[in-house]
Amino acid sequence: MHIPDGFLSPQTYLPAYGVAAAAWLWAAKGLRQRLDEQTVPKLAAMTALAYGLGLIMVPIPGGTSGHALGIAMLALLFGARLAFLSYSLVLLLQSLLFGAGGITALPINALAMGLVGAWSAAAAFRALRGVNETLAVVAAAWLSVMMSGLAVALVLGVQPLVAHGADGTPLFFPFGFSIVLPAVLLPHALIGVGEALLTLFVWRFARKRNWCPA
Amino acid sequence: MKTQAMQRLAASSPKPHDAGRAARAWLAAYLASVVAVTFVHQPVWLAAALAAAVAAAGPARWGLLRRTVLAVLAFNLAVSAGYAVIAWWQGRYSGQYLLMINLRVVLLVFLGFWFISRVNVLRALGFSRTLAFVATLAVGQIGTFTRIIRDFRLAFVSRNPVRASLMSRGRHAAAQAGHLLDKSVYGAADTAMAMRSRGCFDD
Repeated sequence: MHIPDGFLSPQTYLPAYGVAAAAWLWAAKGLRQRLDEQTVPKLAAMTALAYGLGLIMVPIPGGTSGHALGIAMLALLFGARLAFLSYSLVLLLQSLLFGAGGITALPINALAMGLVGAWSAAAAFRALRGVNETLAVVAAAWLSVMMSGLAVALVLGVQPLVAHGADGTPLFFPFGFSIVLPAVLLPHALIGVGEALLTLFVWRFARKRNWCPA
Repeated sequence: MKTQAMQRLAASSPKPHDAGRAARAWLAAYLASVVAVTFVHQPVWLAAALAAAVAAAGPARWGLLRRTVLAVLAFNLAVSAGYAVIAWWQGRYSGQYLLMINLRVVLLVFLGFWFISRVNVLRALGFSRTLAFVATLAVGQIGTFTRIIRDFRLAFVSRNPVRASLMSRGRHAAAQAGHLLDKSVYGAADTAMAMRSRGCFDD
């Protein structure tokens, strides 16, 4: 789902850095007031965890597999703010240390996967928890993948509209909404099923260990 | 690739303040270059910039270029082929666009790989003490987690001579995730105690 460098226009990623900066400040607000010997290592551990979860291959019906996003798991267990911060740090480290993802795509990737994904997971879980907890976890994980995918697809799909030459030739990502939305969302509907199952397994594991859910 | 990155991070320098300043200057130059490249839409200028970057990268240039091409191949091929088919079908095909987008992506990714091959990124993040703290701790943990996931994967493959069922693979993925969660929670407590004992939170 990560957008690489070179496909987003400056009209997109420069304002996105502004929005992301505000979101990072908001997410760090609670933490900065208590950056002590508990929060600094915890944030580092969650960052490494978010990275590690991204390495886990999630089985997809049909015999193939994709990698876990893990953002729903982080949001349900540690809260949307910590999940967003951790995921953003992972994306920063991936782009600066390992050359994966991209520095221009960083704010969009962080907002789409870290913020939209975490928020939608937390909101779905809160809304459905009273009905059935298993359903709430599954819906939260599936929705986090779909909403993140939707955000990424919308940003990619808007590129031909905001950045094109005088003759209408695109300057960055070339496909509009009619192509990019199904191309991103249909595979992610399946990836979301695998992510939901994985999140449910881990949720039950975490409950057995009496970890305090968010 | 990741192990090499970790080793570079562990490498020490005799003058940490100078090295930190140099790393931050490199980071600023890298970020400015990346932004500048996204404002260039002429393939000839992008090609010239790529040639200049490759020439300036020194003896590591061909290795970096190879890594770059491998990193962008799948995504660029998919986008380029999709664009070629759809634009040709709609009668709006532009070879210049294909050249421009591929040159730009290759140039940006090459600049990224060149940057991380030259600079200790954790030093470059030293403008924020907390960010440098968290990033250093996280990078150490990431190395451990990468090894754990690889070991889990190899063990799973060795236990399954035929392709495992969907449920088995799901349980395996969950076991990996559960182990990482356990290790994170306990690792955070260990790190906190280790940092406290070394006086990291005294001032």
